Amino acid sequence: MHYIVRQLGFYLTAFLIAISFNFMLPRLMPGDPLDALFSATQGRMDETQMAAIREMYGFMDGSIIEQYLAYLYSIISLDLGPSVLMFPVSVTQVIGQALPWTIFLALGSLIVALIIGISIGTYASYHRSGFFGQVVPPVLAFISNFPYVVTALILFYIFGVQLDILPISYTYDPDLTPGFHWDFILSVIKHAILPMGSMILVGVATWVFNMRNAMINVLGEDYITMAEAKGLSSTRVMTRYAGRNAILPVATAIAMAIGFSFAGSILTEVVFNYQGLGNVLLKGIVARDYPLIQAILLILVVAVLTANFIADLVYVWLDPRISK
Amino acid sequence: MSEVLLEINNLCVDYVLPNGIARAVNNVSLSIKKGETLGLAGESGCGKSTLAFSISNLHKAPALISEGEILFQGQDVLKMRPKTLKAYRWNNVSVVFQSAMNSLNPVISIAEQLTDVIRAHTKASAKDAELRAIELLEIVGIHKERLHSFPYQLSGGMRQRVVIAIALALEPELIIMDEPTTALDVVVEREILNQLYELKQTFGFSILFISHDLSLMAEIADRIGVMYAGNLIELGLAKEVFHHPIHPYTKGLVSSFPSIHGPKETLYGIPGSPLNLLDKPQGCDFQARCPDCHHKCQQEVPRLSSDTPDRLVACHNL
Amino acid sequence: MKQIPIHGDALVSPDKPKANLIYKNLGSKLKAFWSFFEGNPPALIGGFLLTLIMTMAVLAPVLASHDPDRRVARSHVEPSAKHFLGSTRSGRDVYSQLLFGAQKTLSVALAAGAIAVFIAIGVGVTAGYMGGRVDSYLNFLTNVFLVFPQLPLLIVLAAFLGQVSSLVITLLLGLTSWPWVARVIRSQTLSLRHKEFVISAEVMGESRWRIILVEILPNLVSIVFGGFLGTTIYAMGAEAGLGILGLGDSTEVSWGSMLYWAQTSSSLFTGAWWEMLAPAMALALTGGALALINMSIDQMSNPKLKTGKHMKLWKKLKREADQRRGLV
Repeated sequence: MHYIVRQLGFYLTAFLIAISFNFMLPRLMPGDPLDALFSATQGRMDETQMAAIREMYGFMDGSIIEQYLAYLYSIISLDLGPSVLMFPVSVTQVIGQALPWTIFLALGSLIVALIIGISIGTYASYHRSGFFGQVVPPVLAFISNFPYVVTALILFYIFGVQLDILPISYTYDPDLTPGFHWDFILSVIKHAILPMGSMILVGVATWVFNMRNAMINVLGEDYITMAEAKGLSSTRVMTRYAGRNAILPVATAIAMAIGFSFAGSILTEVVFNYQGLGNVLLKGIVARDYPLIQAILLILVVAVLTANFIADLVYVWLDPRISK
Repeated sequence: MSEVLLEINNLCVDYVLPNGIARAVNNVSLSIKKGETLGLAGESGCGKSTLAFSISNLHKAPALISEGEILFQGQDVLKMRPKTLKAYRWNNVSVVFQSAMNSLNPVISIAEQLTDVIRAHTKASAKDAELRAIELLEIVGIHKERLHSFPYQLSGGMRQRVVIAIALALEPELIIMDEPTTALDVVVEREILNQLYELKQTFGFSILFISHDLSLMAEIADRIGVMYAGNLIELGLAKEVFHHPIHPYTKGLVSSFPSIHGPKETLYGIPGSPLNLLDKPQGCDFQARCPDCHHKCQQEVPRLSSDTPDRLVACHNL
Repeated sequence: MKQIPIHGDALVSPDKPKANLIYKNLGSKLKAFWSFFEGNPPALIGGFLLTLIMTMAVLAPVLASHDPDRRVARSHVEPSAKHFLGSTRSGRDVYSQLLFGAQKTLSVALAAGAIAVFIAIGVGVTAGYMGGRVDSYLNFLTNVFLVFPQLPLLIVLAAFLGQVSSLVITLLLGLTSWPWVARVIRSQTLSLRHKEFVISAEVMGESRWRIILVEILPNLVSIVFGGFLGTTIYAMGAEAGLGILGLGDSTEVSWGSMLYWAQTSSSLFTGAWWEMLAPAMALALTGGALALINMSIDQMSNPKLKTGKHMKLWKKLKREADQRRGLV
């Protein structure tokens, strides 16, 4: 329990740092960023709306502390102002539509990569001198270290353009109405294959290597020899006794991977024109929609911190020693 | 007492290393009788644990049982197919490892580590297995409330008791104890050994007791074997070997441990350091450290020979 | 399995500090260098590819057939003898751009990797060696950086700064990608700190600096080098990512900006695959080559990962023993 409270405290602090960073960002930029922002809207905003945005950012009269508190308040009340790009739709609304797709892509690919990687890694640790131990790891290391965009582009070209067998744009067929029916679900899956596939290709090697190395360490432990001496089935020894313990160091690596996965999602979405946050972010950058860009950064921070916290909870469940 | 339970014939275990093949157990033959306690002594690295591991056929790369046979009630363990081997393990021979801290899985509860072996070998239901687990814990003097604890929540002595409880689970004919008490303090060691002997009275299993502590062994074992550099160099009745050692290495081993009971004596160590198994000399392996080395010792390997029944020694100086 | 020490000298490698090893004479260094590649195909392939790419980058002015910044052909000319890798939509020679782009991309990635590793060594060694309050502050800082999504952070920073030059990208990448290396270095320092040779150096009254430089750092070499390669791979990918988002300086020739121009000209749709695939494959091969070397270093520093010739012998002997026992 103590551990969880401490971690929660850490994430809240980290979140506060992120908010402060966001608050500082426009103030650190040369010139008045809001002037640039308003010129980008090309007169679509009237005076009162501009004033509202100023206020949202805490650009008002008063000391910097008062400004900071006003900014904090606007974030807590989820009032992130209107988007410049899609004026007058609010930033919250724009993000609300895109965020689920990014979470789906980032966490979905992470989980699949974890499952595949852990399986291959476990197998490779048992058959260290065979094909799986000698050939598969270097091949995976090679492929997995192509930059995110490059893997995405290669898959895009092979399967989307040359073979033309998989969709390379949108999150689902735009002719379909979203809902809980087969056509829609199938379409979502089909559209996710290439972006997710490229992210899995990039992510999987990390887990193969983490798991293999952890397994090799664990397999040298006495409790594995004892489990074998007990005459337990090799599946049980491999999964319950060895795998269970080897997962622990792998689980600590997940924290870092979550951030990478979201970053990868941003880039992959741009290549596949997938309607997630990355796509919105790109449009925001082109339109110089600073409120939108900053809100996306903030929401990504929240998503990554939350996912990390969940990973911590899982870790406590996996390792009873941690909570003492 | 006379029926042979386990017979090891000409066993050789090799380690295949990058810089050569090291023979960790060299042509060792010995037997364990029903209900007997056989002690196996020697300094670390002499091959005593390697020998013990062979009995459950637990060796993996780079270790390899290259020669010999291990007959358990007449059946060769080394020729068993995986399924037979699995059934043989723990049902017939269980192992208590050196350190309970390391031989219990830290993230699996005591309950599961007790019940899984019961359920793997018998048709017991989950409920029955748990009842048996409680019974086993009580046998070794641990309250049943501890059943769902994790190893880190128990003291060192309790953990070793749990390991013994697991070893008893299927009432095997032979329990191998690989330095079961070296990690414990003297008082706890005493308690556990006493308890072990009560259990042995009740269940009648044989014990292969591995230790470097000859005085302890003299107390609890029926016979003692002494190993050096993979060879069995002396074997005989426990009291005989301890009080009248013949092999110069055994002599050194006996005098390097203080006796708790006996009169004050000067301790003598054994000069020199253990043999490099990749660079064995011609003749006797002990020649470099032997106070009484002759020309013959540098030429010929001494064979185990007996000059009285029940006593085997491998030395040219008999 | 349980490692049963047969014998101290034969099995357990002496736990001496590697310090002497590292500062030994050049001859043994070269020997060590060669033994790294010997019988290690991944390291050989990685080393060969990387040498090739680096040579091409360094010799770009000699090897290039055209000026990368000038219009030298019609739009989207197919690969030919005159233009090995075709031309871009704006009529630039892709092959020449690739060579000069390698210079820019590799220097950004390597410099960012170097900056990150320097910060990581500073933070990691200080935290691990000093311990106590210093450690908990630095560890907190590392963890905060670690959980922040770095690339989005970079994207936002770059977006606020407008199109940024490669120098700024280098600095941003270097300043944000150190934490995971720092974490590894910290935990390694922490374990080295309690090793006998460090404690004995302390007891002998050696200064902190000397202990860190002579006793600790030499033992971190493989971790530091692995971290450097890892961050370099990451930085290269991030540069490419920022490039394709149009956040880099698109007037500079780098693999990232080449991707950007290929993307804006929809080259993959119009059949001009060479414009996109040339920089993409260059990035892929470089990343892969660095990763193979990184993997080999990891294998070298962790002896448990080694599988040598003796394992083949073991397998053969095991098979023979099983045959004698009628198990095969």
